[in-house]
Amino acid sequence: MSANAVPLLEVRDLGKRFGGLTALSGVSFSVAAGETVGVMGANGAGKTTLFSLIAGNARPSSGTITLDGRRIDGLSPDRICRLGVARTFQIVKPFPGLTVLENLRTAAMFGRVALADRGRADRHAMAVLDEIGMIELASAPAATLTLAGQKRLEVARAIATGARIVLLDEVMAGLTATEVAQMLETLRRMRDSRGLTLIVIEHVMQALMKLCARIVVLHHGERIAEGTPEAIGRDERVLSVYFGAAAA
Amino acid sequence: MATTATRGWLGVGIVGVALLAALPFFANPYLVATGLTLLMWLALTQSWCVLSKMTGYVSLGHVVFYGIGAYLVVITWQSWPLPLAIAAAGALAALFAVVIGLPVLRVRGPYFVILTFGIAELVKYSILAGEAASGTASRILFGAPDLLVIYFAMFALAAAATLLLVLVSRSRFGQGLRSLRENEEAAETLGVPVVRYKLLAFVLSAAIPGMVGAVMALRSTYFVVGQVFDPMISVTVIAMALLGGGDDARGPILGTLFLFILSEVLWVRAPLAYMLILGAVLAGFVLLAPGGILGIVDSLRARRVRSA
Repeated sequence: MSANAVPLLEVRDLGKRFGGLTALSGVSFSVAAGETVGVMGANGAGKTTLFSLIAGNARPSSGTITLDGRRIDGLSPDRICRLGVARTFQIVKPFPGLTVLENLRTAAMFGRVALADRGRADRHAMAVLDEIGMIELASAPAATLTLAGQKRLEVARAIATGARIVLLDEVMAGLTATEVAQMLETLRRMRDSRGLTLIVIEHVMQALMKLCARIVVLHHGERIAEGTPEAIGRDERVLSVYFGAAAA
Repeated sequence: MATTATRGWLGVGIVGVALLAALPFFANPYLVATGLTLLMWLALTQSWCVLSKMTGYVSLGHVVFYGIGAYLVVITWQSWPLPLAIAAAGALAALFAVVIGLPVLRVRGPYFVILTFGIAELVKYSILAGEAASGTASRILFGAPDLLVIYFAMFALAAAATLLLVLVSRSRFGQGLRSLRENEEAAETLGVPVVRYKLLAFVLSAAIPGMVGAVMALRSTYFVVGQVFDPMISVTVIAMALLGGGDDARGPILGTLFLFILSEVLWVRAPLAYMLILGAVLAGFVLLAPGGILGIVDSLRARRVRSA
């Protein structure tokens, strides 16, 4: 990323308080188009809150979020989605009574691609399902999928909106080693074929290292480190947070 | 396969519409009045489904729109031309839905159910109090139009409500409503403007019941507040929708027909056991066939396809 290029997404001094609890405070970072940035931190570090603020599911208490030079903080989730930001949910939220294809149809009809015609929306959705390897599940009710299947559906649905930025919230948590490898492969392939920008929350460190060129570390709602995976692995503050003061 | 099924439904629909349209020309007044009641339930149930089946927001107070419509016709009686009063009844019901919609649609599940019931009762007792204060607790309407006119007005409303649900069910709007029914937060995050859509569904589901109430007020010629705001109307509509099943226009048709014919038969044949049997049928459906009649029909068809 050149120094004077406008970043695709810029988060500045972002803060969120829930009553007396500060979930996030003074967090700043930016993401260039095509980049894959990891977000790590212990439970309660504010990772999911960060996603909720960017996607509009929650309103920031302070700070700004800028997409392509345009302020998006405080907009409703549906408007932010139409502007090109999609997210997945750590606790999956499929439309259980609808089929897999119908799940994606909503994304294609209402997301950034906004394909109002059902036939066109379905063709777009089927292309995404094909690419993610779920085409044979198109007419299965979402409720019948395994956890791994539902995590894949979350990803497929987010991508089917035609988003430029996809926020992936622990899409590999709870998967077997083989499934993690498959998901990694799929994510990399779809990122490259569609030119997606990814922001990834993950506890599976190995996955984060493989996928991301840069990692932001949160602790108690604050950004304590940012850098390449190697640099993060050597960072004293990160080590002390993760392994206690003795390790530092 | 889907096309033969669609053609089958279409055929049944055309025969039904023709039968109901021709009814007043060959049947006696009792049968015409019965047909009118059937059409009324059909119009109300289709309208209710536009909100409650499509979005999962179960309204237990839909009678409020019916009552408001009826009341408007009564207080404008012989000062406004009837077609205007009926149209205004629909507009007033829709307006009321806009006003209460934004706060009411913020709550989901049982809270929404209780809230809609409470609002309907609140409106009922407010109007009752007003009528009592002005000494007009009941009114007689002289010069109401002929049964035939009322019948065809209701026929038009039932057709309109059915068409509305068909259109909503097949549209992008309907896709958005189904999605928010299944998971509101996910729908919103995928670009569905949920607040606007819920409100629009609420308003659409209110307008026709307002006009139905207005037309039915002409039928009874004698106006009692408690009657046009009777909570049993709301409950019956829900029962018909549940019995029908599904979330398109076929369910309300099946459910309305089934419950209506069943209660007519029971009323004549077993007046004492009437409510007992009706209750048992409802409980049986909820426990054994939660998908309603449509669910049974679809699973039978699926079985036939598999064995063929």
